[in-house]
Amino acid sequence: MDRLLLLLPTTTYRTQAFVDAATKLGVDLVCAADRPNVFEADAPDHLVTLDFNDPAAAAARAAELHRRAPITAVVAVDDLTTVVASTIAERLRLPANSVAATTAARNKHDLRCRLAAAGVPQPRFRTVPLDDDPGRAAAVTHYPSVLKPLTLSASRGVIRADSPVEFVVAFRRIAKLLQREDVTVSGDGARFLLVEDYVGGDEVALEGLLMNGRLHTLAIFDKPDPLEGPFFEETIYVTPSLLSPTMQERIRAVTGHGCAALGLTEGPIHAELRVNEQGPLVLEIAARSIGGLCSRTLVFGTGMSLEEVILRHALRWPIESLTREHRAAGVMMIPIPRPGRLGAVRGRERALAVPGIEDVVITMHAGQELVPLPEGYQYLGFIFARGDRPEGVTQALRDAHAALTFEID
Amino acid sequence: MSDELKTKVQDLIDNMINPAVAGHGGFVELIDVQDNRVYLQMGGGCQGCGAADITLKAGIERLLKEELPEIIEVLDTTDHASGANPYYTAGKT
Repeated sequence: MDRLLLLLPTTTYRTQAFVDAATKLGVDLVCAADRPNVFEADAPDHLVTLDFNDPAAAAARAAELHRRAPITAVVAVDDLTTVVASTIAERLRLPANSVAATTAARNKHDLRCRLAAAGVPQPRFRTVPLDDDPGRAAAVTHYPSVLKPLTLSASRGVIRADSPVEFVVAFRRIAKLLQREDVTVSGDGARFLLVEDYVGGDEVALEGLLMNGRLHTLAIFDKPDPLEGPFFEETIYVTPSLLSPTMQERIRAVTGHGCAALGLTEGPIHAELRVNEQGPLVLEIAARSIGGLCSRTLVFGTGMSLEEVILRHALRWPIESLTREHRAAGVMMIPIPRPGRLGAVRGRERALAVPGIEDVVITMHAGQELVPLPEGYQYLGFIFARGDRPEGVTQALRDAHAALTFEID
Repeated sequence: MSDELKTKVQDLIDNMINPAVAGHGGFVELIDVQDNRVYLQMGGGCQGCGAADITLKAGIERLLKEELPEIIEVLDTTDHASGANPYYTAGKT
């Protein structure tokens, strides 16, 4: 029986979907988390604790497991574990992305440098030391600009600045964010931030699977809500895209070029691009699948989940089809309207009654502290819809969201 | 037969599973056993916990199947969205 090592941070939304897919495939599942599970002593070959911040140590521990019972594949479920997964795969000699490639994709500056060297269209960029005088850096910056931490995800800490004054405020806010207890950054990520030109236009996301270096596009999502700043909170993703077939082909080509520039060759990728009169420009390419619970929008062949596709690829099992269902599908990541403590979410039944709505999942719990962007990284929950047309799906998501009320103390 | 299996499952929950999950402020309640399928509900720190699925599949289900090989699967009926004090909470990465 094939033995699968899943890397599951205790903070990920992705556990259930990957565990369900592994259960469906009937593989021998080994769950590795960053914190000990209460049953680890009872199931030492199936529950392990790995230090995701120390890839070499995690790989050494995985090698011990491998010696006792060979591991067939290792899969990272989100950004936090991509480098660890490739380090383990390299140690166990399993086919996967190189450590250099996943490391570059995890660091926004390395990513930019690799894309620039390969001529992939992207915003102009530079790094600024966090111990630099922000006023001096602000004076030599083109506006509008976007300031970003090098290694955080989910738009956390990403702030637009339209003037030197806004630059300084954003700079200090990011520096303070990087000091938070729930933020783990090291190396360049703790010493620099990235400053890019703000690029106008529509934003899209491409979900893809790399197989032997070839990019297979699984879906292109439109993001119908404008993402113009000052913070870049993602809300609605809808597929298929309403962009022209020609533009979608250009998006595929630019993303494929970007993956090649990074050296990514295997497994899922999630790319985000801006599209304007110049064509598509790459904002990010990550060596992981779509985050949160958003993968529920994707169904392939006769009912395969995205996670099943990813696991089949990692295990070198046949994949019946990479063609998404014909219906339009979408998700809204429910934004946090203001800071506070969540009292209750009301109106779920009314939201579910909106035609086209499939589910409304509230993932934050009553009493939980709500931290909006740019400091926060969580959503209140997710709304899912399907329909004949993307426009109808978008409207259903908006109507369902309008039916919800949030009590915040 | 099902009642006998149910008693055995309850015994394992009382003596092996709940003492373990109590360490994270959690508990597990047996809802039913039907056709050798075990239906559970998780509460306390387990309800809404980001690691609940790992605990269920790689911990609880494995343990129950080892002790009672006739069990086909273990199913979670918990409304995790209503968890008020999950041990681990999720974020989008």
